[in-house]
Amino acid sequence: MRTIKKNAMFYIMMVPIVVYFVIFAYYPLVKGLQTSFQDYKLMGDRPYIGFDNYDLVIHDPSFWDALWNTLYIGGGILIVGFIAPLLIALSLNEVMKSWFKKTAQMLLYVPHLLSWVVIGGICIFLLSPDTGLVNMLLMKIFGMNPINFMADESWARSVMIGSAVWKDMGYNCILFLAGIAAINPSLYEAARMDGATRWEQVRYVTLPQLMNTMKVIFLLNTLGIFRIFDQIFVMRNPAIASKVDVLMMYTFQKGIMEIRFGPAAAASFFVVLFTLLLTVMVRKITRFDEV
Amino acid sequence: MGIERLERMGWKNKIFDFLNAVFLLLLMLTMIVPFINVIALAFSSGMASMQPDIILFPKDFSTEGFTTVWKSLNLWRPFMNSVIVTVTGTFFHVLLTSLAGFVLIQPHLPGKKIIISFILLTMMIPQDAIMIPLYLVNKDLHLINTLSSLVLSGMVSGFSILLMRNYFLGVPYEMSESAQIDGAGMFRIFATMYIRVAKSGLATITLFEFVSRWNMLTAPVLFINDSSKITLQVALKSMITEASATSSNFLVTTNVRMAGILISIIPLIAIYPFVQKYFMKGLMLGANKE
Repeated sequence: MRTIKKNAMFYIMMVPIVVYFVIFAYYPLVKGLQTSFQDYKLMGDRPYIGFDNYDLVIHDPSFWDALWNTLYIGGGILIVGFIAPLLIALSLNEVMKSWFKKTAQMLLYVPHLLSWVVIGGICIFLLSPDTGLVNMLLMKIFGMNPINFMADESWARSVMIGSAVWKDMGYNCILFLAGIAAINPSLYEAARMDGATRWEQVRYVTLPQLMNTMKVIFLLNTLGIFRIFDQIFVMRNPAIASKVDVLMMYTFQKGIMEIRFGPAAAASFFVVLFTLLLTVMVRKITRFDEV
Repeated sequence: MGIERLERMGWKNKIFDFLNAVFLLLLMLTMIVPFINVIALAFSSGMASMQPDIILFPKDFSTEGFTTVWKSLNLWRPFMNSVIVTVTGTFFHVLLTSLAGFVLIQPHLPGKKIIISFILLTMMIPQDAIMIPLYLVNKDLHLINTLSSLVLSGMVSGFSILLMRNYFLGVPYEMSESAQIDGAGMFRIFATMYIRVAKSGLATITLFEFVSRWNMLTAPVLFINDSSKITLQVALKSMITEASATSSNFLVTTNVRMAGILISIIPLIAIYPFVQKYFMKGLMLGANKE
């Protein structure tokens, strides 16, 4: 009797969790799939129209632009955002003074804590052509003409990639440092006994030993490619929209701005599909399962 | 000859250490200088802040940016909305997920495996890809334009439940069994024994939730269009982007915008010491376990 009563209490504690997930995770997934096959209106009946929504999305050139922008910007963030923090982690690892190391880690981590509104706002301001700090420095030190980074199509994607890498550099760097800290110190001792220089220690001990951490971080970051939204939502403007609008932005515009839920839902399912495909691909390439 | 080689290496090492330190210092400057610039501008007068100049120290010191943004532009209202959503949302998140984590360590609970896979599966659903149906669900539940929609958004997460479960697993079950025999109720055991052991786990999810809720942008953009209910991030976003594009609003000078940014950062700076203590440690643990 007592165990039944006890178990009943446990089940009651789980009720809000289960209800929440049904309403806000499982049901939306099903509803999204359903909506993508409907001519969905907020009022009135919602007839099923087969693959019309998918057809519409596939034949929309701005969808393909958005996909290309996503791959370009997302791929850039993935690659640069992997290499930069790795280099910084290796460089920090060579620092002997722990106060310097700690201060650097602390400072580099700060932007990750702030929202894209704040980071995007600061970037827009720093890069502005008439008063921004970056252009002021370019003008006063190098005597260059101001560059309108935020309105120039040829700069737009680089600015997005650069600011995203800058924001999350410290976070990824800490993950790498954690991986480095877990390396068995006796390996370094053995390497030093054999007369390995510092560079050789990095090349033959740190990097091979860090392989697993690198794979995990790369895989996790890959999943982020199709999720880019906040940053573009804050930093886009009409002048560069065609170069930076990513798939989530396309979905948002179709669904929320144009109130065409059917095509928006169909586009969302392409995002799900692409994410799945990419995950399988990266798993194959990095042979994650063998780790 | 051996000594000579060692000396040369020592010399090379010193050059490397020096260049390495310079590299890191330059990197840190890219973090520090923009923030100094923001702070200096926020404390400058409206006129001074609009001038094309390198401003790293308040020019024509004034706090009018703060009073304008807070009173004239009514930033206090979205600020309070954000405080309400962040505090209540974080509270319920921590309460519900830690209770769930506690349930999921009970050894003889029928159906536990099913519940765990039910939770694990939710972590595979890409939140952003269900943005449109989530909007429709909130609409059907008449939650659009309510702060409740923002509290509910992400109120439970599989990640936090499993994290808490992992921390609770650190408490030997025999300990809670013997406490039960001594007549302690389940809630008391939870509150006294488990919470105490899993303190750093609680701190981790509390901070994580606090930061992500304070910074939340997609949910308020989707669910709120009543200007009295918007959150701080949304208010800042429109102040930063729309005002700069149309500049029709004469109130929004650069110092005002920078003051708004600074105000939004204050709560995060306030919790940063705790972030360092728990959050980063949690991150490290997570990374090592992989």
